[in-house]
Amino acid sequence: MITLTHFLVVSACIFCIGLYAVLAKRNTIMILVGIELMINAAILNFVAFGKYDKVNYGGQVFALFAIVLAAAAVAVGLAIILNVYRHFKTINPENIHELKD
Amino acid sequence: MNTFFHISPVTASILVMLFPLLAFITQALLGKKAISGNISLIAILASTIISLFGVFLPIWNETTVLQKWEWFTIGQHTLHVGILVNNLTALMQLIVCIIALPVHIYSRAYMKGDSGIHRYWMYLSLFCFAMLGLTVSLNLLQLYIFWELVGFASYLLIGFWFTKETAAQANKKAFLINRIGDIGFLVGIALVYAHCGTLDLSALFGQTGTFFTGVDMGIIPTLDKNVLWVTFAGLAFFLGAMAKSAQFPLHVWLPDAMEGPTSVSSLIHAATMVAAGVFLLCTVFPLFNETVLLVITIIGTITALSAALFALGQYDIKKVLAFSTISQLGFMMVGVGIGAWDAAMFHLTTHAFFKCLLFLCAGAIIHEMAHLKTKAELDFDPQDLRNMGGLRRFMPKTFICMVVASLSLAGFPFTSGYLSKDSIVITAYEWANHLGGVYVLIPVVLIIVSLLTAFYIGRIIFKAFFGSFKYRTYIKAGFTLHEAPKAMLIPMFFLAAGSLFPFFGPSPVDYHRSWIMLTLDTDSISPSLAQAHLFIPALLTAGAVLVWLIGWSWYVKQKYPLSENNVLVRFANKQGYLNEFNERIFVTGTLELSRILYAFDRHVVDGFTRLFSWFVRRLSVVVYWFDKHIVDGLVNLFAHVTYYIGHLVRHIQNGQLQAYLGFALTVVVLGILYLIIK
Repeated sequence: MITLTHFLVVSACIFCIGLYAVLAKRNTIMILVGIELMINAAILNFVAFGKYDKVNYGGQVFALFAIVLAAAAVAVGLAIILNVYRHFKTINPENIHELKD
Repeated sequence: MNTFFHISPVTASILVMLFPLLAFITQALLGKKAISGNISLIAILASTIISLFGVFLPIWNETTVLQKWEWFTIGQHTLHVGILVNNLTALMQLIVCIIALPVHIYSRAYMKGDSGIHRYWMYLSLFCFAMLGLTVSLNLLQLYIFWELVGFASYLLIGFWFTKETAAQANKKAFLINRIGDIGFLVGIALVYAHCGTLDLSALFGQTGTFFTGVDMGIIPTLDKNVLWVTFAGLAFFLGAMAKSAQFPLHVWLPDAMEGPTSVSSLIHAATMVAAGVFLLCTVFPLFNETVLLVITIIGTITALSAALFALGQYDIKKVLAFSTISQLGFMMVGVGIGAWDAAMFHLTTHAFFKCLLFLCAGAIIHEMAHLKTKAELDFDPQDLRNMGGLRRFMPKTFICMVVASLSLAGFPFTSGYLSKDSIVITAYEWANHLGGVYVLIPVVLIIVSLLTAFYIGRIIFKAFFGSFKYRTYIKAGFTLHEAPKAMLIPMFFLAAGSLFPFFGPSPVDYHRSWIMLTLDTDSISPSLAQAHLFIPALLTAGAVLVWLIGWSWYVKQKYPLSENNVLVRFANKQGYLNEFNERIFVTGTLELSRILYAFDRHVVDGFTRLFSWFVRRLSVVVYWFDKHIVDGLVNLFAHVTYYIGHLVRHIQNGQLQAYLGFALTVVVLGILYLIIK
């Protein structure tokens, strides 16, 4: 049978893939995708742990909120990426290093 | 006339000295335009007239007048400047004027055409001003200032032809030797001021002055003239007079001073400069105690004798006259030394006339000789006696003047020199007779010197005016010698008249009846000897005639017994090797000393400095090394350590967002690992 551990393992895998994408991709869109993957890994954890709250379905409700917030965050993120592109004429994060002193 | 001269003698004597000063200033301002000399001549003429009618006649034999003005105050002491007019100063001022006037007239002809004539008149006026100011100074310090001015003006005049090397050397020598005397004078002034608290001549040496009466002015209770400081002060004043009045051994500047124009020589020798020393001694006479007077007498005698001997061996006509002046100054010094400063003053006065005349005559001869030299394009020394001879045929009037002056110098009867020289010799004899013993040497030496004087002045006359002229072949060839121009002859005639006895007294043989001796009369300490008044003049006159006969046979009859290279002749010609002695001892000595000092300075003082600087340099190298490597090194070490640490971590902040996230992740992982391991 499929236990909580399996969920957590899958969730951890997705999180790691997302993390890898965020750290290693040379494209900001892909980083945004990585962030989404990490959020989804977290949402999966919410749903998985939601079995301990069968009265209020708190976890699943929170997952729904999180999905909505993620969508909103993507919108904001894409807007930022668009502005970054306009400003730097690139979306490769290696070429954007204004944070350097 | 009397209304004009109703000004007070003090004002008049100020005017007398102001006229030449004004002339000096005017000519200094006019510069090269003032070549006629009229300004100087008018000034000295005005001075002479005022001096005679405004100062001399009202004062002589009448009263002493003085006036003083406050000069400056130092602490409690106030110094005054002022004018002192008494018999002595009025007489001295008049002599200066009366001698300077003919010299000015003479100079107009003598210096005509000289390229530096504007300077000549300027200096001459300054010289007269200084000397006239010196005569009437009330204050010793004021007198000292004029004394220095006289020295300075004579320096300018002796070096008038300064492009000539010998003239430049001569005026330097005169100035330097006079400095020695000036030090003496200054020391004397300081001593008197320190002990008496005043420099006022009338307060010190007047009829009621400290030294004359021995009464104090509240500073020192009674003045014992034999105390040590009075001796020192007397000797110091005498040192000043020695240099100015060319006394042995400080006389060496005077023969060299012949480098100046002859008219200047006559002024220096007759009335100004050398007379200043004798005048000073007469002024401060009450200061001298017996020790000092004896020193003055001895130095005067040595001077008279040595200078007369040196005069015998000179070939330069002016140098003979220069030594003659020195010799006569020796006589005056003896006069002061034996207490008969009235006789000294008398001799100074008569000497002023005939010595001035001698120089003017010599100047006329030199003038003509130089003329012949340039016209005939010859090369000889116009002042050398050996080049002259037989000149009486060409210049009879000059010859007559010269003979009058020479007779006067030799002390022949009916001349003024007879009166004054006898006054000194006879007084010296009486003085020696009174004291007895070796003192008799002094009048004996003076008599010998008188005979020598007669001989060397006879030598000049015989060599220059008799015999045959050395360049007579040129005379035959059409070149000729002329009589001196009228402008030169008139002053000479005037002075010749002044060299005869009527100018000074009614009697041709008795000096006591001369108006100068009657007024200046000093109390003689020694009794008068009637026989001395008889046999000394007789001895001197007979001796003079005898030496002239010898001179006649030697120089005119060509029976000269001595060879030119005779040791004694050479000794006299070289002035007793005194200049060489001075050169060896003082000049070379000073040079050697300075060389040693230089070496000391160079090697010891500089060496020490150099050693020290070397040491400091080495030390600084060490300190530099320490600073660079230890102090700086420590600071640099800290800086580098900090820098490398910073360098290590600065790579973290690379601006890469992903790298930041990576680091954050790493830290979280490390934190988790820490939590797990703990």
